[in-house]
Amino acid sequence: MTLRELKVCLLGDTGVGKSSIVCRFVEDSFDPNINPTIGASFMTKTVQYQNELHKFLIWDTAGQERFRALAPMYYRGSAAAIIVYDITKEESFQTLKNWVKELRQHGPPNIVVAIAGNKCDLSDAREVSEKDAKDYADSIHAIFIETSAKNAININEVFTQISERIPVLDAEGGSAVKGFKLRRQPSVSTRERTCC
Amino acid sequence: MAFQGSEGLEEQLEEPEDTLRVSPAEEMPIDGPPAVGDPEPEPLLLPWDRFSSWLHCICVVGFDLELGQAVEVIYPHHSKLTEKEKTSICYLSFPDSNSGCLGDTQFCFRFRQAAGRKSSLGCFLEHFDRDAPVSLKKDQGYYYGYVYFRQVRDKSLKRGYFQKSLVLISKLPYVTFFHSLLKLIAPEYFEKQEPCLEAACNDIDRWPTPCPGKILSLPIMGVVMKLRIPTCYDKPGTSQLVQSTPSDSQVSIILPTVHEVDLFRCFHPVFFHIQMLWELVLLGEALVVMAPSPAESSDTVLALVSCISPLRYCSDFRPYFTIHDSEFKEYTTRTQAPPSVILGVTNPFFAKTLQHWPHIIRIGDMKTAGEMAKQMKVKKLKNLKTLDSKPGVYTAYKPFLNKDEDIIKQLQKGVQQKRPSAAQNAILRRYFLELTQSFIIPLERYVASLMPLQKSISPWKSPPQLRPFNQDEFMKTLEKAGPQLTSRLKGDWIGLYRQFLRSPNFDGWFRNRRKEMLQKLEALHLEALCEEDLTLRIQKHTEVETVDLVLKLKEKLTQAEKDQLPVKAGTLAKLQAHIDTIILTLPEDLQGILHKPPSP
Repeated sequence: MTLRELKVCLLGDTGVGKSSIVCRFVEDSFDPNINPTIGASFMTKTVQYQNELHKFLIWDTAGQERFRALAPMYYRGSAAAIIVYDITKEESFQTLKNWVKELRQHGPPNIVVAIAGNKCDLSDAREVSEKDAKDYADSIHAIFIETSAKNAININEVFTQISERIPVLDAEGGSAVKGFKLRRQPSVSTRERTCC
Repeated sequence: MAFQGSEGLEEQLEEPEDTLRVSPAEEMPIDGPPAVGDPEPEPLLLPWDRFSSWLHCICVVGFDLELGQAVEVIYPHHSKLTEKEKTSICYLSFPDSNSGCLGDTQFCFRFRQAAGRKSSLGCFLEHFDRDAPVSLKKDQGYYYGYVYFRQVRDKSLKRGYFQKSLVLISKLPYVTFFHSLLKLIAPEYFEKQEPCLEAACNDIDRWPTPCPGKILSLPIMGVVMKLRIPTCYDKPGTSQLVQSTPSDSQVSIILPTVHEVDLFRCFHPVFFHIQMLWELVLLGEALVVMAPSPAESSDTVLALVSCISPLRYCSDFRPYFTIHDSEFKEYTTRTQAPPSVILGVTNPFFAKTLQHWPHIIRIGDMKTAGEMAKQMKVKKLKNLKTLDSKPGVYTAYKPFLNKDEDIIKQLQKGVQQKRPSAAQNAILRRYFLELTQSFIIPLERYVASLMPLQKSISPWKSPPQLRPFNQDEFMKTLEKAGPQLTSRLKGDWIGLYRQFLRSPNFDGWFRNRRKEMLQKLEALHLEALCEEDLTLRIQKHTEVETVDLVLKLKEKLTQAEKDQLPVKAGTLAKLQAHIDTIILTLPEDLQGILHKPPSP
């Protein structure tokens, strides 16, 4: 079985529950009084997908505005981005659209984008309809799923669906994800830097 | 969040890494590491503890038109530096002559820690230091500064240039690692300012502690650095981390080494003299490297210091030294013989100040030295003119050993065949390692013979003494078991040993060996004591004598724990059991007193 390291970043407004989603996924725990993230926090989890092991290297970025400029460090080289919004905050859905734009312009080509509408347990306070979000996600060919980190709803599904969309390893044994990057940066420097 | 995050990280680091392979030092050899009773509990770590196990602090040094160089930011804000230390950092973080370092430059310096101040490294990290190789133990009394300096034209600034350094201050001598780390942090910092430092420090504060022997995954700025700090149990020259599958440098970076510099590149300008330089470093001779830039001076000094590995270079060395240094007067005075130090300098002023030094290495611009230097004779010191002298080694030193033409030829051939620099470096490193080992093995063998015989260890007497080091006796062993057994090199080995025995490097090496052997003796003694039937013994003794025994055993136990004596697994637990058994034979009032933990 081959082990593949997949860099994944979480993006989205402050307070939408990015860290809570990661916590639920990695440790299966939930803390309602979680502190705001500084810079980004990092966790890993390995899951089996078909005959591969996917080791997710998860960069959970800070949503606060002052860390906004650091985001490229985290989506650079990412195989997938999970953009999170809060279904009870219309504004966080608008922020999400800006992230999609930024990824399209500056992110890695062929990055798998997953849109997570978090806090679906609070449907009484819903401001973003599931259909609108789904339509938007379809229009940009993104994964869409409503989640609740608090009630452990659909958290693993987000990552499973990402695994499904990760291109399989090609015959030469090189990862297809890597292939895209090499095509994008044809200079040999990428290769050199990895071996020293 | 931070706390939970680190827990998750820790747990995940335990999982097997099948993309990584450590060759071939992955498994500890049978005789190491020493087991110290029960496994040590994971120490309780407070915020910033993990950070301080790697770094003392991060400084930003800028240029103020009125003040000159100034420390603009210290991160974390609570880190302490004395005014003197700050001044040192200011001067050492910028190139000191107009060497035209346009663009980005990386170099390193080393400075004395202000007296009377406790190191920020907590004592809970002592046992990591125990497992590190001698030459990589943390530097008592000194700090390293790892610098990333940027100088670019900027018309919007009054000075016409943007000049700033990001500096990592640490006790750890992992030069390759810290330079790689700076390459990730500094360019981002210069663009994105303080939030970037905040994020970096936050990442570092969740790293595992710098434990030798483990493969460490260190997430930083969106990338995971993977590395392994060598241990003293590794076979020398085998501790490199190799990569079996290529990875994306935007996702993870594998560092094959944390501390090794590229010897071939560094010695390139003085290539024909490497063997003489090895002797000069081994003997702790006063040596100055005059280079066109701090990057070249620090690389060369570090290469010199590391060429006698696995021996530790025990004198002071300054990869980059300036006229503002607080030790400037001490080191350049003409009233005394030049001290046993290696200095790297760039300021032309030193050519005059250090004219009287016995050995001077001058290197030109390494970037233009594409061609292999032509065969160069050692230059006479009187030919060293103050300013624009040619590159080379200026000395009157006559090497003890004959020149090894084979290594020169082998490397020259490599240059002609365009052998990769990494391969050239590996050849040179192996050459130095074999040379140093040939030199040191006879000493190791002799010193091992100073150990008393196992049978002379009696549990009821103090541990026997080590025999003293006798120079004549040692020299006699060389006839039969000298370096000729492992090295083809001919020459005056005896003379080289004679000189070495007077050098600070021998002193440091012997002191360390002696300490290890004394601990071994103490450990054997303790093990012998544990095998005794102590209850039988105390039956023949008075109550006072028994109490005395208990107190003595307790003291031994405390000392053994403190010194982390290399005892067999379970010995300390056994000793504790003995103590408890003896105490139970005593009257109750005494039991109460003796059970109390010893007061500090």
